[in-house]
Amino acid sequence: MEAFAHNFLNINVLIRTHGFLITGLFMTLRLIGFSLILAMAWGLFLSVVRNVHLPGLNTFIVFYVDTLRSLPILVLLMLIYYALPFVGIQVPAFTAAVLALSLNGGAYYAEIFRAGIEAIHRGQTEAARTLGLNYIQTMRHVILPQAIRVVLPPLTTNTLEFIKATAAASVVALPDILRQASQAMNSTFNPTPLTGALVLYLLICLPLVQLIRRFENN
Amino acid sequence: MGNILVEIKDLHKSFGEEEVLKGVDLDVERGEVVCIMGPSGAGKSTFLRCINRLEEPDSGTIKIDGEPITGDNVDLNKMRTEIGMVFQQFNLFPHMNALSNITLALKKVKNMSKAEADKKGLENLEKVGLKYKAESKPDQLSGGQKQRVAMARALAMDPKLMLFDEPTSALDPELIEEVVKVMLDLAEMGMTMIAVTHEISFAKGGSDRVCLLDQGNMLEQAPTEKFFNDPEHDRTREFLSMVLD
Repeated sequence: MEAFAHNFLNINVLIRTHGFLITGLFMTLRLIGFSLILAMAWGLFLSVVRNVHLPGLNTFIVFYVDTLRSLPILVLLMLIYYALPFVGIQVPAFTAAVLALSLNGGAYYAEIFRAGIEAIHRGQTEAARTLGLNYIQTMRHVILPQAIRVVLPPLTTNTLEFIKATAAASVVALPDILRQASQAMNSTFNPTPLTGALVLYLLICLPLVQLIRRFENN
Repeated sequence: MGNILVEIKDLHKSFGEEEVLKGVDLDVERGEVVCIMGPSGAGKSTFLRCINRLEEPDSGTIKIDGEPITGDNVDLNKMRTEIGMVFQQFNLFPHMNALSNITLALKKVKNMSKAEADKKGLENLEKVGLKYKAESKPDQLSGGQKQRVAMARALAMDPKLMLFDEPTSALDPELIEEVVKVMLDLAEMGMTMIAVTHEISFAKGGSDRVCLLDQGNMLEQAPTEKFFNDPEHDRTREFLSMVLD
């Protein structure tokens, strides 16, 4: 027990390395901020375009969504980071991570938004169009506000998974929570910073989990 | 052009193999109220929905105020602001209160300021007797009230023509009267209306002409009095004997 406390709950190590962890926290928050907004916007865009039902375009969107959901985020990220330089495109680690997370997350969000849009009765679109609203206005003011309410629970669950997936960015040496914690672990020869990382992830994710629970109870 | 507001010629529409409209003609004069009756599956709703192109007719022409609205070069959104439509299921926007249901299109389509739109919205709610419900969400309204808000929403756009697609069919019997009353008021005020309805009280009391649509054909068109008392076709008599019982 003492060995466990020394290795994983070592206050002295935590005090010495907390600066590392805080830097990692800010990087992770920045990564979440950028990629979450992009992933949601991309997913929303795909679902709204898909709802127009243009045959060729829909085939492409379905192909994209299916493919991206079948790829592990780690593989996609490493592909973007290590393979793109061979075709002359240098991507910084942060950009590569944002790109991978947005492309992958967008596919999941697209499916969720699509389910929401399809759940809204056709009469809503017809009423809006009959009043002279165009497609975009109908989506923006009538369909999406209702659709998003319908899919709020899966939307939150997916966002939780999304946030946890940002830890993958550490494989391309992005100094996020996990990367900073393992650096600190290597320099102190003590894994306590990993415990610190665990606590930071809990702090970010637990409120979301609580929110999901509240949805489930309603 | 003259006094004719709606001119429909040889309208055809099929869903897959099934031909729902088999060359329907209808002219409606300005200020005229026309009821379309017929058995279910006769194509009444499809016909009405072709008039604002919620359904795309396969062939035939529709002119509103002399302007063709069929074909590719029609500004559908602009055309639709001139044709109000009331649905069987009301189709109010459930996330907005009664007033916002009305003002949305005034602001977004007619580009009114919020103050102008609110004023116009309240005026129209008053017309249907529901100004005091302006802040209520649709789920706080009865079926009849929802339908009256839906009518106010359509009327606020100052349409040239109002289409009613079985506006009372989803209502409990005791709520029908309040909706019919608003429709009668509108007819009185000179609104041009085409109504698909089973509501005999409105057809008899509010319409100038009644048509029987049967199996995709406009079988009979006659002034209201004649339609109910002395129709040309046996099929009409048969239909009337069923609905008047």
